[in-house]
Amino acid sequence: MEKKDKNSIVDLASELRWKIGDNFHDKLTESLYTDASEIASQAIEMPGNERNYSLDRKIDRIVTSKRFGFPIMLGILALILWLTISGANVPSGLLFTLLIEITYPALKSLSESIGLIWWLDGLLIDGIYMAVAWVVSVMLPPMAIFFPLFTLLEDFGYLPRVAFNLDSLFRRAGAHGKQALTMSMGWGCNAAGVVATRIIDSPRERLIAIITNNFSLCNGRWPTQILIATIFIGSLVPSSFSGTVTSLSVIAIALLGVGFMFLTSWLLSRTVLKGEVSTFTLELPPYRPPRFWQTIYTSLIDRTLIVLWRAVLFAAPAGAVIWLVSNIHLGEITLANQLIEWINPFGLFLGLNGVILLAYIIAIPANEIIIPTILMLTVANLKLAGIGAGEGVMFELDSTLDTANILKAGGWTVLTGINLMLFSLLHNPCSTTIYTIYKETKSAKWTTVASILPVIMGFVVCFLVTQFWHLFA
Amino acid sequence: MTVSQSACEDCAFHNVNSLKKLGIDTDNIDYVVALAGNPNTGKSTVFNALTGLRQHTGNWPGKTVVRAEGAYQYDEKRYKLIDLPGTYSLLSTSQDEEVARNFILFGKPDVTVIVADATRLERNLNLVLQILEITNKAVLCLNLMDEAKRNNIKIDQRALAKKLGVPVVETVARSQKGIPELLSTIADIATGKIVSKPRKVKNLNRQIEKSVNQLAREIEKKFPGIPNSRWVAFRLLEGDKRITEAVVNNELMELV
Amino acid sequence: MDQALINLLIFVALIILGWISYKFFGSREFLQGKLKRQKTLTEDILKQLYHVEESNRKPTLDHLAGALQLKRKKILLVVEQMTTSGLVSLNDNTITLTDEGRLYALRIVRVHRLWEKYLAEQTGHQPKDWHNLAEKMEHMLDEKETQRLESSLGNPMFDPHGDPIPNESGEVNPVVWTPLPSYAIGSPGKIIHIEDEPEVIYRQLLDKKIFVGSHIKVLKTDNNEVSFVCEGVEHQFSTIVAANIHVAELSENEMFEEHAVRLSALEYGETAEVIGLSEECRGASRRRLLDLGILPGTSIEVDLKSPLKDPVAYRVRNTSIALRKTMSDLILINKN
Repeated sequence: MEKKDKNSIVDLASELRWKIGDNFHDKLTESLYTDASEIASQAIEMPGNERNYSLDRKIDRIVTSKRFGFPIMLGILALILWLTISGANVPSGLLFTLLIEITYPALKSLSESIGLIWWLDGLLIDGIYMAVAWVVSVMLPPMAIFFPLFTLLEDFGYLPRVAFNLDSLFRRAGAHGKQALTMSMGWGCNAAGVVATRIIDSPRERLIAIITNNFSLCNGRWPTQILIATIFIGSLVPSSFSGTVTSLSVIAIALLGVGFMFLTSWLLSRTVLKGEVSTFTLELPPYRPPRFWQTIYTSLIDRTLIVLWRAVLFAAPAGAVIWLVSNIHLGEITLANQLIEWINPFGLFLGLNGVILLAYIIAIPANEIIIPTILMLTVANLKLAGIGAGEGVMFELDSTLDTANILKAGGWTVLTGINLMLFSLLHNPCSTTIYTIYKETKSAKWTTVASILPVIMGFVVCFLVTQFWHLFA
Repeated sequence: MTVSQSACEDCAFHNVNSLKKLGIDTDNIDYVVALAGNPNTGKSTVFNALTGLRQHTGNWPGKTVVRAEGAYQYDEKRYKLIDLPGTYSLLSTSQDEEVARNFILFGKPDVTVIVADATRLERNLNLVLQILEITNKAVLCLNLMDEAKRNNIKIDQRALAKKLGVPVVETVARSQKGIPELLSTIADIATGKIVSKPRKVKNLNRQIEKSVNQLAREIEKKFPGIPNSRWVAFRLLEGDKRITEAVVNNELMELV
Repeated sequence: MDQALINLLIFVALIILGWISYKFFGSREFLQGKLKRQKTLTEDILKQLYHVEESNRKPTLDHLAGALQLKRKKILLVVEQMTTSGLVSLNDNTITLTDEGRLYALRIVRVHRLWEKYLAEQTGHQPKDWHNLAEKMEHMLDEKETQRLESSLGNPMFDPHGDPIPNESGEVNPVVWTPLPSYAIGSPGKIIHIEDEPEVIYRQLLDKKIFVGSHIKVLKTDNNEVSFVCEGVEHQFSTIVAANIHVAELSENEMFEEHAVRLSALEYGETAEVIGLSEECRGASRRRLLDLGILPGTSIEVDLKSPLKDPVAYRVRNTSIALRKTMSDLILINKN
């Protein structure tokens, strides 16, 4: 009896709703706004058409104009990238010296003096400490410059104008103009780029932005690109051009990434994501003078340190794994060499090799440690004496030439170099980013798509490049 | 508790001795305060100003997606502050709006602070009016007053408070202006010193008005003493799943 | 080199194979068991019979075979079974629905239209895909699920094409409409229904942005062509295409908006007043525009044009909001 009464309320609601008709929501909103403007007209005094003469307006007319809109955007982008790359060199070098050249030996001798068991010493210091130190020294400085600069522009209110200017391009790929910004954030760090997709208020476009963020070459991958391009592509031309050719080839890879981002966005929006809700409104807020120090502070805390902390959390166990695979012996050979032997044929088939694939598997937490891991594995695999810092210890060489020699001894050709550059662009996101994607989407399905899709693309692209290379070379 | 109406309107920390920012320490809470508002109205700045936390705030709608919590102590009482996602409305089915709507309705906050952008007040009132349909314990925080002044927008705070039936506080959260007044108003509402009778939407379409009243009467009959029967009626007409379930399972009173 | 060529050929072959198996295994017939296929076919026949009866024609076996693109023999087999279960009666090649059969058909129609409404309101699927998705879904929902769907949509009366949705007990609100070619010249009207089959014609109308709910006025009609004004744009369609647009007179409290144009037609420096949102503006987009205060009577002007022309930022209630052309086409205004 009681139950029936409650249902009668629901039934009455259905009946009334039927009477009101399909546009209940419209009518309700209209009522609310009628009230709102009634109140506003009595309590607010608005100036006339002042917007036409305001400073905001003048800025807007310039930054969104046909003539200056794009040059201003490109100029600012170039400036930020230049400040980041040139500004990060010095602190990066200092951190490297401090953490790896000074602290690492100190820790080693400390552990010797207290008589730490060899494997614990290896696992903790050679494995975990080394990976963490490496990630911090490579990752922290560029992020600490890049993100505050970006945040300043954000607080000023310029970024929505960028989205406004570029939306037309992104619309054609089924994406949102704001993806231009999350993509740029991805050049700093993909995990931060994924977090930044929160600004996209349309579910479908947000998922697209999350899944395709990995195609932005993040700052952990730039050094890899530059090193490999110097060794294998810069060396193809006379030395006076090699610098230029190297830069151009790295930029080409970054642009290829943008191309893949558009292509994948287009594909996703027309296939798996076509049923997701999509809507577009973009508010252009008034400009606000940014509060410089506060912005720098919050962006350091909010973006840089949080992302760095996550990276460290993931890098530590990876350091342990890297050390372990190089030091666990299966009979005569180490686990690492055994694995390399197994996957080497597949690697060569794709125009890569077993070392590269293994490095990408065990160094999944951070792209920063790919090159040191590759070098360490190559040396261990070839049993080269006198190079490197021991089994399972990552290292890098000051001299590009020495690095080139190791890699060439490992059987690398120009094709391997090109494929590594492509694979560095097109492979799964690092585990920090994967975790972030999961946190943002709360969906195992989309996290899987975002993780697997780029690797498949990487395999296919490397395979095609290799086969065509063999066909014509 | 009295508000010290000193001439020190501009100094950032007047009344500061009674405020203690507690960051994320939300133990032993006396009152729960919800922070609602449109996107990009400086809601997170208000949140930071009260709790001492440093949630990032961009000039850009939609930074706070998940619910953020913080706490502060004012006049010996401890308040938990919940920063709800910024929404334009509470009527739709989007996830943000559901979080905000359900918290104000089911979370039973002791006070709801509605942060509004003084430069776009008319549009913000849409949300304000909706919240006032749900709860009587609310204060309107008119933020970004500096920008309103810069744009020559004049707001008659008293007329606004009278029209809305709830206290209105003007603030510039970025520079802490008006925060002391906001704190004392929150305290007065929480302790029951201020009891408001907020405006309920007047210009309802005739047919909706009729339906809502009829439905609200039925709801009051079945659930005597329900505080916001009108809002429940709105939600039932909209087909809100959670409310419909609550009505069917006779749980409405426990929820609202 | 030869090995590379072979590898590439294998790669291409794998892709083709993948594509074929996707097409093959992806089709619903293959995935369904025999019993399910039988049910689907039965329901399709019932629905087809219902539609034919609605248009006052006599359905025949050949007709069904043609409409469902199946062999006559197969249809006959199913229809015979349906006769024994009392859904249809068959005499001399013409098939008639029994009362029970009609009720069953209406239930399928109901699910179909509700699902189209759902797709329109709560997903991002394109209008051209609605029909085919609903065709699949109509066989899957039982009455209880349908009811839940209906109430979550707020008990809608019409599907997005303007077709009335039958209620639980199979009652349909009759709707009276006139095909556009026979509508009186010069008298204002409102599009209340657009036929979504055949798809080719429906797509053509979608491309021209002809939507349910738009006000129109016929300018000229002859045997081959109809020309009319709709939202400030003049259209010309062949009679066959125009016959899929169904029009009714405006009700008493509706005003014909003679000078209504789309917001996308507003130029820099002009001001306008919003008349309303087109019915085609649905779901999340519609709610967003309403929430932003784009409502009848709101004044609006162009604030900024982006360098690539689309989107355009409009000034509404002292706020600058950028909208894409696809959205601003769905907002009707009166220029001042």
